[in-house]
Amino acid sequence: MLSHSALTPLHLIWHRISKRIAMLLAMLGDWAAFLGVVLILGLGTSWYMIDIGTPLTTERQGPWVTWTSAGRADADPYTRAHFARLGTLPLTAEMTLTHLAFTDSEGRRLHSSCDYDIEGREPDASWWSLTVFDDRGELIANAAQRYAFTSRSIAMRPDGTFLVTLARDARPGNWLPTGGAGRLALVFTTLDPSAPLLANPQEQRPMPEIRRVQCR
Amino acid sequence: MQIDWRSKLKHANWQLIIAAPIAAAILHICATLAAPNLTADSAYNRLAPALPLNKLEVLPPITPDTEPLPFLSPDARYAFCRFDSANGPVSVSATLPPDPGWLMAVVSPHGDNVYAAASTPDRITPIRIVLVPSEAHFLGVTPEARGIARDEQPPVAIAASKGIIVVRGPDKGLAFRDEVESFLKMTSCSARSF
Repeated sequence: MLSHSALTPLHLIWHRISKRIAMLLAMLGDWAAFLGVVLILGLGTSWYMIDIGTPLTTERQGPWVTWTSAGRADADPYTRAHFARLGTLPLTAEMTLTHLAFTDSEGRRLHSSCDYDIEGREPDASWWSLTVFDDRGELIANAAQRYAFTSRSIAMRPDGTFLVTLARDARPGNWLPTGGAGRLALVFTTLDPSAPLLANPQEQRPMPEIRRVQCR
Repeated sequence: MQIDWRSKLKHANWQLIIAAPIAAAILHICATLAAPNLTADSAYNRLAPALPLNKLEVLPPITPDTEPLPFLSPDARYAFCRFDSANGPVSVSATLPPDPGWLMAVVSPHGDNVYAAASTPDRITPIRIVLVPSEAHFLGVTPEARGIARDEQPPVAIAASKGIIVVRGPDKGLAFRDEVESFLKMTSCSARSF
């Protein structure tokens, strides 16, 4: 151990420098933690509210997600950002409701390697359609050139219900081919200009159920 | 070894701890508001380069090869008109048949429907609107002011400087394709003088 008298001016300078470096590192550590928290909290919550949505901006019924202010002139910034990022042209939710599903009714990702039954009751709308896309929103090319069923083109059951089958290979009835698209997305659009579609948000509209039948 | 929480709390940088959620909230607001402007893939940015200005374009039936936007359903036929009223008002007229599923909307670059109208089942729906830049609503002297009797409804003035007019008619199949197309082609969108 060096005695007091052995501390040369060089040692003193080194001691002071190392103390300053330690202080700077401690401060930088605080700032790094601060920046990390700000970035994760700020950008993370923004991404979540734009991409996934919250009950403030979306309505969820089973696997179906609807952005309730889509296309409206008084839309909130999250809805605006959501549709800008999605790249779609939203039509006003006062007349048209677009419900998007990426999973089946049990929460499993929709995939073209599986067959699905989509069963529902005719919605209370003047016009509606059900379309299958891949998860990037592109139509799935198929020899039958069949991509959607509408209230005009679907074969309804006598009791006012319908069944649409999503499958790779041809099926009898309302079949929508999924080819080898991989992950799938379903869009259920209802149009009713005569009644405000979101007049009573608590009222549950009957939405089709998506059941996985089998996977290869 | 026990952690001395009391000492740690005493030496914590409380200014940074309090500032972090405030800074995160500011970043959250800025990122959310900037998101529509930062994305190059918005519907307007995708469509605008391919559409002529102030001229209606009837799109071919939507197929995997002709799909101009993601999640654009082939259940309908579409006509688009990219408009810019900066150099003068843009007149738009459309006729929606008495058939469910028809819709016309004026959509801003941010996706807001500044005007929307849908067909009614009992009668034809004629639409006449004039798009003016937000800051200019004067459309010239009216026919009545010039002593000319007007025999039709004056067009509805809507403040919209830029955007896309969307006319959507349900695709009811091959047999109805000509009929749907003829109604889409009846829509007009053109620049006019004051």
